[in-house]
Amino acid sequence: MKGFLTRVTAITVKEAAHILRDPRVMIFALVLPVLLLLLFGYAISFDVDHIPLVVVDQDQTNASRNLVESFTSGDLFEIKARRSTVDQVEPLFRSGLARAALVIPEEFTRRLAGGREPSVQLLLDGSDNNTATVALGYAGVVALEVSRRQMPTSLSREGAPISAQIRTFFNPGLRSSAFIVPGLTAVILTMIATMLTALTVSREIEQGSMEQLFTTPVSRLEIVVGKVCPYFLLGLVAVLLVLTAGVAMFSVPVAGSLWLLFGVSALFLLAMFIQGLFISVATRRQALASQLAFITTMLPALLLSGFVFPIDNMPWPLQFLARALPPSYFIHAIRAVLLRGNGVEAILRDSLAILLFFGVFLLLTVRRFRRALN
Amino acid sequence: MNRPAISVDGLTRRFGRFVAVDGVSFEVSKGEIFGYLGANGAGKSTTIRMLCGLLRPSAGRAVVNGHDVVKHTWEVKRSIGYMSQKFSLYLDLTVQENLQFFAGAYGLRGQLLSQRLEHALELALLTDRRNVLTGALPGGIRQRLALASALLHQPPIVFLDEPTAGVSPDARRAFWRTIRQLAHEGTTLFVTTHTLDEAEHCHRVGLMAEGRLVALDTPAELKRRHVPGALFTLHPAGGRSKELLAKLRQLEGVLEAQPFGHRLHLRIAAERDEAWLASLLEQVGFGEVGFDRTEPTLEDVFLQVAKEGAAATEGR
Amino acid sequence: MNASRTDPDPTADGGQTAHVVDLRGVCHSFSGTPAVTDLDLQLESGELYGLVGPDGAGKSTAIRMLTGLLAPDRGEGWVCGHSIRRPSRALRQAIGYMPQQYSLYGDLSIDENLDFFGHLFGLPRQQRRERKSRLLSITRLEPFRSRRACDLSGGMYKKLALSCALLHQPRLLVLDEPTNGVDPVSRRELWDLLYEFVDEGMAVLLSSPYMDEAARCHRVGLLDRGRLLAEGEPTRLIERFVHRTFLLRITGRHQVEDLIGAQPGVLALSPEGGDIRAVVRQPEAAGFRQWATSHAFTVRIEPVAPTFEDVFLGLLKDPAAIEERGGA
Repeated sequence: MKGFLTRVTAITVKEAAHILRDPRVMIFALVLPVLLLLLFGYAISFDVDHIPLVVVDQDQTNASRNLVESFTSGDLFEIKARRSTVDQVEPLFRSGLARAALVIPEEFTRRLAGGREPSVQLLLDGSDNNTATVALGYAGVVALEVSRRQMPTSLSREGAPISAQIRTFFNPGLRSSAFIVPGLTAVILTMIATMLTALTVSREIEQGSMEQLFTTPVSRLEIVVGKVCPYFLLGLVAVLLVLTAGVAMFSVPVAGSLWLLFGVSALFLLAMFIQGLFISVATRRQALASQLAFITTMLPALLLSGFVFPIDNMPWPLQFLARALPPSYFIHAIRAVLLRGNGVEAILRDSLAILLFFGVFLLLTVRRFRRALN
Repeated sequence: MNRPAISVDGLTRRFGRFVAVDGVSFEVSKGEIFGYLGANGAGKSTTIRMLCGLLRPSAGRAVVNGHDVVKHTWEVKRSIGYMSQKFSLYLDLTVQENLQFFAGAYGLRGQLLSQRLEHALELALLTDRRNVLTGALPGGIRQRLALASALLHQPPIVFLDEPTAGVSPDARRAFWRTIRQLAHEGTTLFVTTHTLDEAEHCHRVGLMAEGRLVALDTPAELKRRHVPGALFTLHPAGGRSKELLAKLRQLEGVLEAQPFGHRLHLRIAAERDEAWLASLLEQVGFGEVGFDRTEPTLEDVFLQVAKEGAAATEGR
Repeated sequence: MNASRTDPDPTADGGQTAHVVDLRGVCHSFSGTPAVTDLDLQLESGELYGLVGPDGAGKSTAIRMLTGLLAPDRGEGWVCGHSIRRPSRALRQAIGYMPQQYSLYGDLSIDENLDFFGHLFGLPRQQRRERKSRLLSITRLEPFRSRRACDLSGGMYKKLALSCALLHQPRLLVLDEPTNGVDPVSRRELWDLLYEFVDEGMAVLLSSPYMDEAARCHRVGLLDRGRLLAEGEPTRLIERFVHRTFLLRITGRHQVEDLIGAQPGVLALSPEGGDIRAVVRQPEAAGFRQWATSHAFTVRIEPVAPTFEDVFLGLLKDPAAIEERGGA
């Protein structure tokens, strides 16, 4: 393999020139990721607040007003309207003006005073599943609070109420951004990495320069290695940018080693680049390659990586697929380092899985390359 | 009806600082096959696109079939047929479906449509293959179909942009026979090409170089005017042609000497003749070399015109 | 690389001079459709060979097999003794290839493109510089060396592509339709360059759809539907052409032309200036001449020497249009 390094360097230098001279590549690799992070980071949020609430207070007493007060003291609910009958609620739901309704019946105070269980109705718009779930949970807590305050007699009779004390580890505020940003990083890196390399080989095949390359002493492995190198460097810069932006703008806590984070991101990048190259070699056409790159990376990274849906809850064929693809390992690893502060030993399994993927696809790409021109 | 089919005066088109077509003027008369010749990027396609009303001229005027291409773009479009360099046919439609589509686009209906359709099928020699997918036809036949579809509305003027690119020699000949027949019937044909032997089929040829029309005449007149002197092919014995070439290039009266396979092409001043050449060869020790007289080609014309152009530029 | 040791040496039998190119019965089909069938081709150093034929005749397929880009289905071939079946580094070092389509990097300058290929062929810095400056000077690209390839004219681009293919000083230069889309002036320049390299002993193989270009080669092979119809020196091929060519001057040309074309034995008709050129089978030639003379539309008919294109068109219709060498 005399001259291996010369030839790889030649390819790398040439490829770097393409990158530096095409502003679209630079924008795609460096600006787009940060932009996406901002966009998605703010848009995808599992935190729920300011749920529009309609209050139907048929009791109109101090006690009922207190109850409404308790409900709306937090940020969760915001009173949008007051109505006098339950029938008037549904039109508001339909028009989207309200997503929850608090119905306090006439006999609320009487029942409370009579020591009987007062019943309050909370109506929810179930079409927004996530909001409804959160609202329901919150309502339960409020109701418990209120009943404790307002029904001292019944409480003293039945002993101390069970107060559930919940404490969350690792993400104390349970802010979803801390959870989402690492996952989003994976999605963004997946997308730009595969898209960038998916085009390089197919472009050369389309424009005819690949044929010329194949008549020179350069080998397929040298082409693959030479092509990945500059993109790898570019990808590392993108990783830095995205992580910095994530930490700076969403105050994602960095519990573990930044170096470790960087290392595992680099490994993941390599895997994604080789997947992109494989797509490029296999499709040979730019249009098809970019579409395939999008479908085969973006969708699994979003849906099968554990980013949005927990892998353990998926049906087994999807679980199998999820575990065959690098994003699930990367998201697991990056969360471990970023949020839990774990060390190398915790992400060794993930790293090996990504490495295995890289190796297999490197082999497939080089093998597939031979037939690429025929 | 003596007005020219196409009349162009000072036509210019700039793209930014680049002048693609630079002050071109010419006239094409009715029923003429006008060849527009030049290298890729010499401004041929840009000219055609302006004449078809697809591109606005930066300066100058062009009148096609009596209509100004800027003011009356619609009338121009209605009176021309245009066959582009790239395929304008749908390969996943059959021959007939393609023709039907274009006929519809030209607004043909009913009796007239079916009549023109049959005519087009005859012209393309595809009457018995009307239900074949266009993609399954060889390039040469597709080209003929493209021409037939550009003629569906019977335009008096047809623009053909590199019509025979990538077509085999015999299909190319068949294509040109159709073109000459059309001209005979009174259609005016404006054809661009970059192959010189094809330009021989044209009544008149305009030579484009770097956006300018550098020569315009009949092929015979172009040759007479731009390639003066007599042309000969020499047949030196194997291995000695290089030596002979070097000697000939230094001699007075020899205007040009070029290798041509194992042979040599030689152009000598017009006043010299075969006898002079024979004695010349004798003189340099190549008396045994045989030769025959040859005719100039349009390529010779092109090379000379380019040389004259370069000399003129340097002189300025 | 030990490819040259393991490959069978075509010079081993008989000890005659090694051919630069030696193809023996090479075939290739694309999904069942034969593109090249039983191609035999030998090429010596210092020879300029033209592979001529219409589009789809198999020229590019033949060239891609020769350069090791495409493995033959059957048959074997060697370039400078290196097998084309398993393309080795030695094979690639022996060949300089200029593909038909744009194959350089448009966003790289002339200099950068040359350097890139110089590196791939492993040229040391000094050698790279020397050869680069020589090629830039003979192609007269020197003043434009920092211009990007995408900003070059068709002719300049081809000269750059040629330079890239020549940088490693191959023994065989292969060009696929080198003059396609090139203006006549650049075309002439390109030919002058080729003659110069051939004089230095390089073997050149090119393909072309143009008959007038074939005549510029030392030897041509006429390819049609994947088969070599005839091969030889252009002038010899014309001499060996058995059919006749006439030049006719007629009146009312357009109606008459179809009539002429339908006469027995007429192989091809083409316009030439104001006249018509007709290639007619030898046995029917006398009859054809008589028929033409007897009609009033014929102003004049005279036999003329066939051109290379006449030979080619004749061969397309009649594979026996060329006399066997032995019989001549």
